[in-house]
Order: sequence, then C-alpha cells, then structure tokens
Amino acid sequence: MDNIYKPELVEIKDIIDETPDIKTFRLQFKNPELQSSFAFKAGQFAEYSVFGEGECTFCIASSPTRPEYLECSFKLAGKTTSAMTKLNIGDTMGLRGPYGNSFPIEQMKGKNVVFIAGGIGLAPVRCIIWNVLDLRDQFKDITIIYGARTVSDLVYKNELEDWKSMSGIKTVVTVDPGGETPDWKGEVGFVPTIVEKVSPSGNDTVAIICGPPIMIKYTFPVLEKLGFKEDNIITTLENRMKCGLGKCGRCNIGSVYVCKDGPVFSYKDLKTLPQEY
Amino acid sequence: MNELKQICKEALTEKKARFIIAYREDKNKKTKPFIARTPEDAEQIIFNHQAVNNLAVYFPRFKNSGEGKIGIVVKSCDLKAVTALIQENQIKRDDLFIIGVNCSGVVRDTTMEFSNDNTQIKCKYCQAKTPPYYDELAEESKEFEMPDDDQAELMARIEKMSSDERLEFWSAEFEKCIKCYACRQVCPMCYCEKCIVEKSEPQWIDTSSTARGNFSWNIIRAFHMAGRCIGCHECERACPMDIPLTLLTRKMGMVASSEFGYRHGMSLTEPALIGTYSTSDKEDFIK
Amino acid sequence: MEEYIVSLDNLKKIADELLNNHCRVIGTTSENKFKELNYAEELVLNPGAVPTSSSFKEFFFPKTEPLFFYKQNHSNVDLFNPIQDKSKIVIIGAKPCDAASLPIISKVFNWDYKDDLFNSRYDNSLIIGMSCHYSDEFCFCNDLGSSPENMKGSDVFLKPLADNYFKVVSVTPKGAEFINEYQKYFEKDLGKNKSLERKEENPKHFDYDKVKTWLDNNFENKFWDTAGEMCLGCAQCAFVCPTCHCFDIVDEQNGSCAGRRAKNWDACQFSLFTKHASGHNPRDNQEKRYRQRISHKFKYYMDKFDEVLCTGCGRCSRGCPVSLDILQIVEEINSLSGNSNSIQ
Repeated sequence: MDNIYKPELVEIKDIIDETPDIKTFRLQFKNPELQSSFAFKAGQFAEYSVFGEGECTFCIASSPTRPEYLECSFKLAGKTTSAMTKLNIGDTMGLRGPYGNSFPIEQMKGKNVVFIAGGIGLAPVRCIIWNVLDLRDQFKDITIIYGARTVSDLVYKNELEDWKSMSGIKTVVTVDPGGETPDWKGEVGFVPTIVEKVSPSGNDTVAIICGPPIMIKYTFPVLEKLGFKEDNIITTLENRMKCGLGKCGRCNIGSVYVCKDGPVFSYKDLKTLPQEY
Repeated sequence: MNELKQICKEALTEKKARFIIAYREDKNKKTKPFIARTPEDAEQIIFNHQAVNNLAVYFPRFKNSGEGKIGIVVKSCDLKAVTALIQENQIKRDDLFIIGVNCSGVVRDTTMEFSNDNTQIKCKYCQAKTPPYYDELAEESKEFEMPDDDQAELMARIEKMSSDERLEFWSAEFEKCIKCYACRQVCPMCYCEKCIVEKSEPQWIDTSSTARGNFSWNIIRAFHMAGRCIGCHECERACPMDIPLTLLTRKMGMVASSEFGYRHGMSLTEPALIGTYSTSDKEDFIK
Repeated sequence: MEEYIVSLDNLKKIADELLNNHCRVIGTTSENKFKELNYAEELVLNPGAVPTSSSFKEFFFPKTEPLFFYKQNHSNVDLFNPIQDKSKIVIIGAKPCDAASLPIISKVFNWDYKDDLFNSRYDNSLIIGMSCHYSDEFCFCNDLGSSPENMKGSDVFLKPLADNYFKVVSVTPKGAEFINEYQKYFEKDLGKNKSLERKEENPKHFDYDKVKTWLDNNFENKFWDTAGEMCLGCAQCAFVCPTCHCFDIVDEQNGSCAGRRAKNWDACQFSLFTKHASGHNPRDNQEKRYRQRISHKFKYYMDKFDEVLCTGCGRCSRGCPVSLDILQIVEEINSLSGNSNSIQ
C-alpha cells in the first residue's frame, strides 16, 4: 500500500531558540537516500509530527538551494507545537511533504524583489530570500523589510545582520511602537508604514509578503500605491490544515484548497476569492 | 392558537422582547424552531404536539448580543432548562420574556402523528402541563391520557442486571455512537464554550469512535449531567444512532433526588446541587 | 446480450456463497439499516423503504480508521502500516442515491494524491444497486440529474418484478463478470414476471444550474444571515450523508511509547473545524459554517470535481434535530435566482 498519510522519519540535528516562543528545528531524514532525493520548491510546506501528539503544518523555512538539511520555524500555539518545544537534539520526528505550490521564482528572475514579512511570517520568506540570494545574479535590486512586535520577537536575528551587511541588499528591520529597547537602532513603526517610508518602486518589481492577516491587509494598498501590479504581489496563506493533500476539507477558501492550489497566491488571485481566511 | 400569536405579536410590537425564539411550520407542515423578529414574523408562530425542541438551547448564542429581553416560547419541561440556566448563572431572569404554553404532550417521532404510541418519554411522567412561572401564558390546558412509563420499566430491568450484563448492554449501545455530538449540541445544559472532548492538552478523551473513545465520551457526558439534566430528552431524540441516552441521564437525576433531595431546574432561588457543598452530604462513596 | 432475472431466494444464495468465500456482504436488514450480514437470511430488499438513516459510506470510509501505528523508544521510532482487510465488499440493494455517492467521493480521494485506504476498499467492491420506489418531501435525486432508476455507481442493477423477482442489469464489466460467475442463480428473462413500477414520479423542485449561478455570485448575501441560523452545529447531517467526506487526523497514545494515528469523520458544522491554533477562525459563526456546507455541496465540489456533492437522498433533513431542510434551502436559493419558470 502506498500510504500517503504515513510520514518519513527525520532527526532533529539542531534547535535554535529564535524568541521566547519561537524555535527553529534543523532536520535531516534518517534515511540518507531520502535526504539526497528530497526535492522541494521555495514556498512549499510540510506536515511535521510528534508521534502520539499530532501533526502540524509549517512551510519549509530553509532554501531548496541548500539541500543538506530542512528547517522549520514554529511558534508555540497548540498541542503539537507544545510537544515539539519539549524535544531535544537527536530526537525523531515525522515529516510528510513537500506539499502545495511555490513562489513564482521564474517570474521573479530579472526583476527587482521586495520581501516584506511580519513576525514568524519571515519563515517562508526566508526560504525564498536565501533561494534568491544563492542565485543573486539572476535578480535585480533586493529589498527586505521585516517587522515584529518587539525586539525580542524578531526571528533569524543573525541572518538579519548578515543581510544588512551584504552589498546590493537593502534590509530594513522595524518593531511596533513600544516594542523597541533603549539600544534599538532599527525602525519603529508598523510594517505597512515602514513600507511606505522605504517606498520601493513597483516598477518591474515583485513583492513577496507574509505575516499576520492584518499586516497583509494594510500593506496591499501601500504596494498598489507604489505602483506594484496585482500579479506581482505574492503572499502565502495559512489556513488550518490536517491532511495537506486536498482531502480533509478544512482549508478551502471558496473552491480553492489552500493546501493544493496554494499556499502561495498573488494579490490578483486573492481578489477573486471570498473573504474567508 | 391565535392567543399565542397574539401574545408574541404584542410582545414584539411593544418591545417587551427584542425577538422571540419560537416554533413555526415550514411549507411541508414540519414544526421547527425559528426566530421571530418582527410582529409580521410572529404571524408564523405556532405550537402543537410536534413542538419538540427545547428552545433554551439557543440562549448561549445570544449571550451579550444586545439590549432588550430575549423572548422564548416554553413548555413546562423546557422551562426547567431556563430555570437551570438561571441557577447556573448563564442567564438572568430579568433578561428574558417567557411565554409559557400549556402542553398536552409532544411526539417522540416527529414523522408521525401524536398518539398514545408516539408520545415522548418525558411526557409519560410529566408532572406539570402548565409552566410554573412565565410572563405570559398561552394555549388552552388540555387533559391527555399519559401512556405507561415504559422507560421506568426498562430502567428497573437494567438495574437488575449484573455489572457484566450492564457492561454488555452499554457496550452494544455505545458501539453505535458516531461522535456527531448531536446529543451535546441539542442539550441546553451543554453550554461549555470548550467541551471536555475538545480539550487536547492533555487529551482527556479519545476523539475517535472506537470502543474506548465512545465509552469515555458517553460516560463523561452522563457524569457531567449528573444532577444537572432537566429531562428534556432532546439528546435521545437527536441521536441518529438511536442510543437510549436518557436512561443514563434520568438515572442520574433519580440519584440526585434520592441521595440529595434535589431536582435541577425546579427553583430559581435554590443553588445548583453541583455547585454547593453541605456538611450533611454523604461521603460513603469515598472508600 | 442475454437478459436475466433473479429471485430473492437466489440472491440470498449468492449472498451465502459470498459469505462462505469470505466476502464482506453488506445489505439492508429488517431494521432498514445497512449492516455487514452474518448470514444471508438477514437481507431484506424493499424498494419502497425510506433511505436508511445512515448511508453505507462507513464500509469504505470508516468513522475511525488507523493510518499507521507507531512504537517509539527514545530516538528510535518504528511506523507500521495498518493491516488491510483484503476481503471483497459486496453491497446488495443500494438505492441510486447511495450507489451514486461512491464515484462522487472517489474523486476527492484520488485527485493527485491517491488515498489507498479508501481505494483498497472501493476497488475491491461490487455494488448491486436497486430501483427505488420511495419518495417523500425530503427526496430530490431527480433535481440533480439522477433518478430512482439511475445506475451511476452500480455494477449490477436490480429492477423489482412481481413475485420477489428482479430484472438484472449488468452495468459495468465488473458487474458482467459477477453475473457470469454466479450464472447458475440467474434465469433467462422470458418476460413472464410483471415489472413493478413506481407509483408516481418525483416532483421537480429546482433548477440546479440556476442554483449554481446564484451561488457563484452570492457568497455575500443576506440570505446566509438566516439560512443556517437555527443550526445547532452538530454533525448529524454530515455523518449520515453519503457524500460528506471531511475528516480529522488525530494521534492516540496507548501507553507512553506506542499508539496510532487515526483518520476520523469530521464536519464543517463544528465550531473548531477551521479554528487556527492562534485562535483565528475564518468561519467563526454558524451562519458562515452553514454557507460552507451548502456551497461545498452545490458549488465548490462542482467547480473542482464536476460533480454535485449531494445525491438528493434527504437523510440530513430527515434526521436534523432542528428540522433544517436542505431541499427547502436550495429551493429558496432557486427562487432567489429569479424567475423559476423552468420548474414544473
């Protein structure tokens, strides 16, 4: 029997505490053949399991250009993530995937790219950022705008520094008003405001945006004002999922299954969908 | 008949209630719950032997939903749920406009006419055809012949069983359960915002319809109903698998009555049994 | 091709042989429920019976089934596939509104990823359908392009004749093979047994195309504010439905180092169905959840799989604790979509 619900086994190779409630796991398949054959595209997600506790859905946060491991970042929220926070390096988890569609990297080639993320929404964006950076010469100007509630809620802090120090990339990091520390040197303000301030040109530019629904909602009009075309604004949705396979029936938005037709949608696509996400 | 409509119409016209949870007949002459919001809506209000639903189940949805009283049409048995919800601090008497109806029995099977053979179990031992309190009272009081309380006979039979036989009886019944939670959803006393079966940290009850999952769900629900069930028999009526759920809840009620002299939903002022402690409470179950 | 008839007695003999050959034989009983038969005499075929209160989907898509079992000892984890019951499943006496459900739900279980748990049972089954002589105010199969004589989903189809005989129609190659295998129980149709016809035609209630067009354009409509407002949010409708196929995936521990992951029936009317771990819920009230139910059945599934996710059996309405009637809801949509001249 080909059992689409049975995960493969992965081992936790490293655990990074990103924030008080967000961790990143670096995972490797226990079967070395799988590790070399496992292929995915930036933007796809997987189902991660802790046996006896359940399964949950996160995008793959590492880049497909770095196939020696997989990474996922998760926020403590429910039963499975709570079980995950108790795991240690060397422990075994389950993984099914990759599932869903991906960021339109071909469409982005030869263009400017603006990455906009809020909170843990940087995880899927980080995947495509590294993917783009690893193929740097195929893209024009790159801008990264990232915000979190407070300084301590910023994820991938080391990489934020790396990006800032790289030439040809504009990296702007912000925290919500009140979330700054006395020594904070970045911006203070909500992401949509900072996007407006940074004001990237929408001309020949693709925007990749991911974050809390409210952030996305208020950033879309800013991007439109900056001249971004609807189909050049790309986001990724996360509806509740169980199977990831287009069967269990809970992630749909109208006739669209987020797990199979998504999770990546353009603003143009989203405008055709009912407001139920 | 007109009287009930009239009362409801007036209540809505004079804003004694901002809406009334009542019964109407659909185009197939099927009696079903609905919400009358305008005096025109009230034209549709009816009451008959098919008015089985306990409309108090809709209260949680309207909690803190606006200014003005909630109107409700209640049979005497339904009023026990209203009273119990007041006792359990879920609603306030002052927020309600209660339209009591004299009831002369409801059906057990809504696809058939009311008859001696088609009388809901609760009506067979009903002690009050007229609700004990109300803001308005409608419907003529009609005598009806109460059929034999055959459930009491079945309960007596089950009580005589050995524990193994009882286990066998209930195992066969619970095996049928499909975990649709119709029993919970129709129950006016099942108002928890998060049911025990939905609590996953830790997972107290298996959500699967396995023998273990079904047994724990049904037994835990019965326990949560101990001294709280008001006997509307809606759970059993709603069960698509015909599990005789009220055998359990009725038995629990009988125990509350015999051991603590308490019946839920009978007094607006008496504190709920489940929420009180008395030094005279028996402790002989602690061994 | 030769035409055959079969007597009820011989059908039971076939059932007996199937049972002796370790097939799972599912039929309706005197209680008018689908049941896995222990012996052939339990079988009761009554074309005039109301659809059983639950559909037979549980024999293909059980209310709970293991996806796999696990054993873990520190970092060592072993996963085991469930043992599959390879017995052939034979359904005897499915109404057209039951038989049609299988090819419909097979589509969702097979687009792209193939659900072999469902397929292993469905592929290994034989469906013997039967004309339906029942109708009530909840039936509407013929509004959805089906009819009480529709053979969709059946491999063999029985049409009642006088004196406990049935005319036998071979619908699929699988059905022909079956008739061939049990040839000795079938008789040539000499036209002697009068055929039993339905007393009356089912009325037509709505025009599906109009309903679909309305649904295409009215996700936001005040109709939805009240359509499902009395719904109590149980899953009676979904669980008795032959086409509802949503499920949950849960882990269940059996001791600290072993357990199983299971696939359980789930339903869009439950308030937690779409609730995110963050607390956000895209369908946060019963009205939205009811819109989802109707839209999934009459629009989304059509958009996606070119099928209506409903066979018009009426089970959900017959069993609804608050008498929500899906046919009346769809009729209302039909009338909202304007002039309803095309309806007789």
